[in-house]
Amino acid sequence: MSTDLAIDLNHVAKTYKRLLRKGTPALRGIEMKVHRGEVFGLLGPNGAGKSTLVKILMTVIKPSKCQGQMLGYRIGNKAALTDVGYLPEHHSFPGYLTGGQVIDFFGAMAGVDRRTRKKRAGELLELVGMSDWSKRKLRSYSKGMRQRIGIAQSLINDPDLILLDEPTDGVDPVGRRDIRDVIERLKDQNKTIFINSHLLSELEMVCDRVAILVKGVVAQQGTLDELTEGQRGYLIRVAETDDAIDLLRNALPEASRQLPPGDDANPAKRIGFRGLLPSGESIEIERNVLRLGVTEPEQIQPIVDQIRQRAGVINEIRAIRPSLEDLFMQAVTDPHTGETLTPGAAERSDA
Amino acid sequence: MTTAARQTVAMFVDAYRELAAGKLFWITLILSALVAAAFAAVGIDEEGFTALWFRLDFIPVTSETLPPDALYKFLFFQLGMGIWLTWIATILGLVTTAGIIPSLVSSGVIDSMVAKPISRTRLFLTRYSSGLLFAALQVTLFTTAAFLVLGIRGGEWMPAVFLAVPIVVVFYSYLFAVMALIGLLTRSTITSLLMTLLLWFVLFIVNFTDASLVGIDTQTKIRIETLESRIAEVEANTAQTIIRQKTNAGEAMPEGYEPTLEEINEANPFINLMRDRLGSAQETRAKLRPWVTGTYIVKTILPKTGETIALLERYIISEEEGQALILAFSGDDEPEPSTVNEDTGEVVISPEQAQMAANEEFRSRSLLWVLGTSLLFEVAVLGLCCVIFARRDF
Repeated sequence: MSTDLAIDLNHVAKTYKRLLRKGTPALRGIEMKVHRGEVFGLLGPNGAGKSTLVKILMTVIKPSKCQGQMLGYRIGNKAALTDVGYLPEHHSFPGYLTGGQVIDFFGAMAGVDRRTRKKRAGELLELVGMSDWSKRKLRSYSKGMRQRIGIAQSLINDPDLILLDEPTDGVDPVGRRDIRDVIERLKDQNKTIFINSHLLSELEMVCDRVAILVKGVVAQQGTLDELTEGQRGYLIRVAETDDAIDLLRNALPEASRQLPPGDDANPAKRIGFRGLLPSGESIEIERNVLRLGVTEPEQIQPIVDQIRQRAGVINEIRAIRPSLEDLFMQAVTDPHTGETLTPGAAERSDA
Repeated sequence: MTTAARQTVAMFVDAYRELAAGKLFWITLILSALVAAAFAAVGIDEEGFTALWFRLDFIPVTSETLPPDALYKFLFFQLGMGIWLTWIATILGLVTTAGIIPSLVSSGVIDSMVAKPISRTRLFLTRYSSGLLFAALQVTLFTTAAFLVLGIRGGEWMPAVFLAVPIVVVFYSYLFAVMALIGLLTRSTITSLLMTLLLWFVLFIVNFTDASLVGIDTQTKIRIETLESRIAEVEANTAQTIIRQKTNAGEAMPEGYEPTLEEINEANPFINLMRDRLGSAQETRAKLRPWVTGTYIVKTILPKTGETIALLERYIISEEEGQALILAFSGDDEPEPSTVNEDTGEVVISPEQAQMAANEEFRSRSLLWVLGTSLLFEVAVLGLCCVIFARRDF
């Protein structure tokens, strides 16, 4: 295994066995690499196997098949967990403990000595904004406060790798921003952070790389730039007039105007058309909006000039890139039927 | 401190916090203190029993028939150990600790626990031990109070009563192991508690059956021995009477003449009646033995709750002291020996003699059998727990 990788998974599979019944496959051969020092996001629809994968890494669930390593140890080796922090999904820390006691207890369970626990607990409570609540029982906490304590306990052993399963679950917007800040700070400390979350917009803000899990396999994996390769471009929006389409069309290079009638065959509809630039990138005009599949800003300057020369009024020019939500929806949409996958997709696919 | 030691201490402290957070924990401790106080409140003098400033005249015992030290020993073993620790405190303890394993394996907690650098087997066994610590704490407090009462009120300082701590904890551990297994399988506190109480009831029935069978068996044995001895005695007497009568009547008798059995029986029909009773008793015993042996085998497989608790009495009170305690309440110096009713040929056995004989039989059961096979049962249950816990997906 490369020392550059915090997690390196090959052929990870899990089938839940049931007595006298056919097993339910949850994971069907996961291939995944998480580099040290990066923030890695794991997404997928309900039932895709995300939590199962996280639990396999944390030895909570035993895989049916697994080749892979975490922090240089084979998956399942408890020794690796000394340097791993973990916030489980739907955790329920005992209500009879105070916030400080929860952090101290899990620190001791991770093997941290008493003096270090005491010192770090104070720092972590400060970090998650719970210093004033450290001596109160958890039963008096809100869900968001428990989540903050959960994050703090996951960091008590100063881990190299932190697995956060739905870290912003139940947390208010201010708390979410605080958690993002914590993640950013951890990243600055060169920690590896593995996040499993449904909140795509938040993942997009903090993650260096993501993997999308569908039907128990990794459908896509990479940086956002890699995943959106070929889907990035520029958008030019002009004032909405009757001849907006003609304006945009005439602003294109001569060769691009000589397109077959295509979508604008019916002038009554005046919707637009699709085509290619002479350099091969895509063109799409829809009413008063022109989308160009180019990645360099220099490539759109001549078209902007042409629009201006024709007295066109430009309302907006911006770079466009599919959001994580767009990628997610693409991954979970059946290309044949156009329908999105329902919860428990992994199970249904083999049923 | 090593990582393993840190984890163990943390889990014990956590278990204490969990138990202390429940009211039952404190209720049990307060009840223990009250029982110990009641223990101290009882006294005995030359006029009879006292409780606080009240005189209990209806109890026909004085310090002459039952010295104070014997009274407090009796109260400690019969009531303190036999009823309070064995039954009431154990039930309260089981209720208090029933949630120890289900709360460990409940969703939301188990993920965080398993995802730590500790083997699942050690995690389970440490958690299990923390439940036993509660029992140990409770018994230690009660035994300390009993030790002080025995010393101050009874005038006899007996450090040996602290043997109650390991003995009660071992007894408790049999039931707690079963409760842990059911708690692990069902994740339900109430189910594990009810099933454990059911098992305990089954053990009680088995113990009761065993005690009854042993009681009947030992009484039958006494009956046989008494009849055999009495028959031999009566036969000898009858033979001598026959010889004497023949001599007095001037009948000629060969040298060394001994009456035949027929002559003896003919002369004394009571012997035949006793022989019939003997035959009947021997037949009863022959029929009883397979049941006694069968119950013994069943008990060998199961944990021996009754015998385990009785170990304390066995090792602290000598057989003679035990007999003295039994006799103190009968008012006799010695147990009345069994006799044969001259009219019916039935053997009459005093309750004290029957109880002593049964006690002797129970005391003859070895420590290895009592503790060894019970602990083997517990190890098997815990082994099953560890296998399930180690293999389960949470």
